[in-house]
Amino acid sequence: MTESTAPPPSKITVRNLNFYYGKFRALKEINLDIAEHCVTAFIGPSGCGKSTLLRTFNRMFELYPEQRAEGEILLDGENLLDSKHNVALIRARIGMVFQKPTPFPMSIFDNISFGVKLFENLSRIELEERVEWALRKAALWDEVKDKLNQNGASLSGGQQQRLCIARGVAIKPEILLLDEPCSALDPISTARIEELIAELKKDYTVIIVTHNMQQAARCSDYTAYMYLGELMEVGETEQMFLKPSRQETEDYITGRFG
Amino acid sequence: MSHCTFSVSAASLARFKRRNRLNHLAIALSLLAMAFGMFWLLWILWETFSQGIAGLGISMFTENTPPPDGPLGEGGLGNAILGSLLMVALATFIGAPIGILSGVYLAEYNPRGKLAVTVRFINDLLLSAPSIIIGLFVYGIIVVGMKEFSGWAGAAALALIVIPIVIRTTENMLALIPYGLREAAYALGAPKWKVITRITLAAARAGVLTGILLAVARIAGETAPLLFTALNNQFWKAGLSGPTANLPVTILQFAMSPYENWQQLAWCGVFLITFAVLGLNILARFLARGTKTSN
Repeated sequence: MTESTAPPPSKITVRNLNFYYGKFRALKEINLDIAEHCVTAFIGPSGCGKSTLLRTFNRMFELYPEQRAEGEILLDGENLLDSKHNVALIRARIGMVFQKPTPFPMSIFDNISFGVKLFENLSRIELEERVEWALRKAALWDEVKDKLNQNGASLSGGQQQRLCIARGVAIKPEILLLDEPCSALDPISTARIEELIAELKKDYTVIIVTHNMQQAARCSDYTAYMYLGELMEVGETEQMFLKPSRQETEDYITGRFG
Repeated sequence: MSHCTFSVSAASLARFKRRNRLNHLAIALSLLAMAFGMFWLLWILWETFSQGIAGLGISMFTENTPPPDGPLGEGGLGNAILGSLLMVALATFIGAPIGILSGVYLAEYNPRGKLAVTVRFINDLLLSAPSIIIGLFVYGIIVVGMKEFSGWAGAAALALIVIPIVIRTTENMLALIPYGLREAAYALGAPKWKVITRITLAAARAGVLTGILLAVARIAGETAPLLFTALNNQFWKAGLSGPTANLPVTILQFAMSPYENWQQLAWCGVFLITFAVLGLNILARFLARGTKTSN
């Protein structure tokens, strides 16, 4: 999609990344650059490690003692895997939306303000403005503006997922990680979220894991194809879908395999 | 539905009919078993109701337990009701927080660790320990130590019954909360204590409350742990020092006595406890249903 030949500056640089679930090596020597203000899609068959890779970017794996990552993930030049960086501060810069909608057991308003209040001390009015801003960003404001005090679980699945996106956007991160955000949604909700992704990349660097090839083709600028824990090929999405340089990639994209 | 034959072969039709007969037999047996259980339960409720309602009046709550062999209808259970309420409230007040905190530890902090496994095992033992043993234990520790029976000792014994119940229900309820919800909160950069208090405990709130209510229902009728600790008392008494009147021991004493007025009051006490416990259980049911719909 980018016209110029010079690649955009990279926001995240992955160098020699290896990842282990106990003894099992799930990622093998990953080297990858994620372009700033672009959408990068990770595709590949189940178990290829695309979600695992995504979860290293905000150190989600640290919740589980048997999982560990080796190598470097540079965020603006700083290795975020370095234990000297506080994990909470990293997660404030890198938001994440999960496969299943996960509204918190509280009101719609509090769902958004929960994360904001962790890092910012805002007045009630500023907080209200921020909540509205985030809900507008996630294209949910018009549907919920009259029921901000209702429980988040009262929304439909697609609305819940947009609520989760709003929640991630509200803390004004630099990067948004989307882990199969549409796999539990119907086509209409999916379309809304894809529009949203195109909108979001103006302000954020977006990385999306998806099983849906058309989705990757529709809404990403760059696509990375992974297989068995290895990064097989990465490039501009158009290039990847029109004439990938590797036969395996073509086989997967055209559905002959995977 | 069971009569559609279409073009099914004779063999499979015979097989279908056999299966259908077995199905009806199983349903009949289940209904019979249910009727058997319900029969006794309803009988108990009816007996409690009909015998207890007779002596029930406002004096039941305002007057003290009468001397033996007095006229029917004189005196009440006021001191026993007050003592029971005080002890149950104190036991819940002590036991529920300890139980919730322990349950949170077991569910949220290294649930497969050595300490958690040990605590869980001991908690299971405590959960199934006969309550008379808990009464004897508190007798040995507090009553012998303080050289008197007291309501404090009674409340301590009841608290020891509350703790394992609340630990178990809290842990189970927290374990039901999907891990994705915790991950979503951590992904925003929330610290662990905040994830637990604002997200997981909040999501499991109704279940945890249900556990506490069931624990209250359980200790409201416990007699054995109070026999050795609170003992009983014929008089009004503010506070929990010294022997303290309570419903279960009063019921035991009055029901075993040959005096008709005491026996009448025992029935009233049974009525009060039974319907209080029934009410608590219904409330717990109601709360538990609230959890499912909100998730």
